[in-house]
Amino acid sequence: MSAKGRRNFEKGIRMGITIGDRLPEASLVGMGEDGPEMVDLAARLAGRKAVVFALPGAFTGPCTTAHVPSFIRTADAFRAKGVDEIICIAVNDPFTLAAWGESTGATAAGITMLGDADGALTRALGMVFTAPQLGLIGRSNRYAVLLDDGVITHANVDEPGTCDISTGEALLATL
Amino acid sequence: MIAVGDRVPDAELLRMGSDGPETIRLGECLAGRKVVLLALPGAFTPTCDAAHLPSFIRTKPGFDAKGVDEILCVSVNDAHVMRYWGEMSGATKAGITMLADPDSAFTKAVGMEFSNPAVGFRDRSRRYAMLVEDGIVAVLNVEETTGQCEISAGETLLAAI
Repeated sequence: MSAKGRRNFEKGIRMGITIGDRLPEASLVGMGEDGPEMVDLAARLAGRKAVVFALPGAFTGPCTTAHVPSFIRTADAFRAKGVDEIICIAVNDPFTLAAWGESTGATAAGITMLGDADGALTRALGMVFTAPQLGLIGRSNRYAVLLDDGVITHANVDEPGTCDISTGEALLATL
Repeated sequence: MIAVGDRVPDAELLRMGSDGPETIRLGECLAGRKVVLLALPGAFTPTCDAAHLPSFIRTKPGFDAKGVDEILCVSVNDAHVMRYWGEMSGATKAGITMLADPDSAFTKAVGMEFSNPAVGFRDRSRRYAMLVEDGIVAVLNVEETTGQCEISAGETLLAAI
């Protein structure tokens, strides 16, 4: 085990996304009626079935034209399979995510937009994506998971920079 | 914090071009020109969106008349977000250049960074506006609190020059 891996192991931090794992504890920021509000992810997932998908950034190309639309298209099908909530996570602030949720139609489709503003969840999952030439630093790779009571039951993780198996249709096909 | 009479530090900022983000060297952009630089905590945030940026859209013709070559809006956001904010707010159409300082390097170099984890802000920029002449700060208006937009507004800067 590498020094870094051992350090993470000793701290109890799991790197990577593995079926059977519990999603790490995280404080995310959402937009409430009175402005930004902190969301305890573990509490939000407890006792529920949820889809979480993550992507490099609001208003970026494939995220806006492909990834988010794929979950807008499949939102009803996920609900028909008993999914209580569909959550989109990006390393953005809640203001940007709220504007993006409105302009893409994701908010209207019932998708919850949550910001991993400091990137802590993304780092804990080992999903950090950085492309300085695009001004994207400490962002998230694309992945989509189905969670039952906070535990990962299905996971599709894309190669960095691609939007292939983390789409709504691809995750739906695994259920 | 940067002050009147100081040279604005050179920095690389990003602007969205037709083929994706492009790097802008601020030093080159300021050399031999009269430039207004406004900076704010974040795209799509209430005060920035409802007050600060609109105040420069309103006063753009006034700055043009006073010989200002360009108005730059800088925020610690990425170039994608700045592009859409520029389009949605009308700032791009008004001729304001939207520039991203994604890693906060410029904002830190001028000593304007602040954080507020409760709203997801890390190393964002305080709200200010300045007139820069040939790279030197000629007028600097810094807002006391980030939720306010009075001294940093377009009208205030225009009245000072």
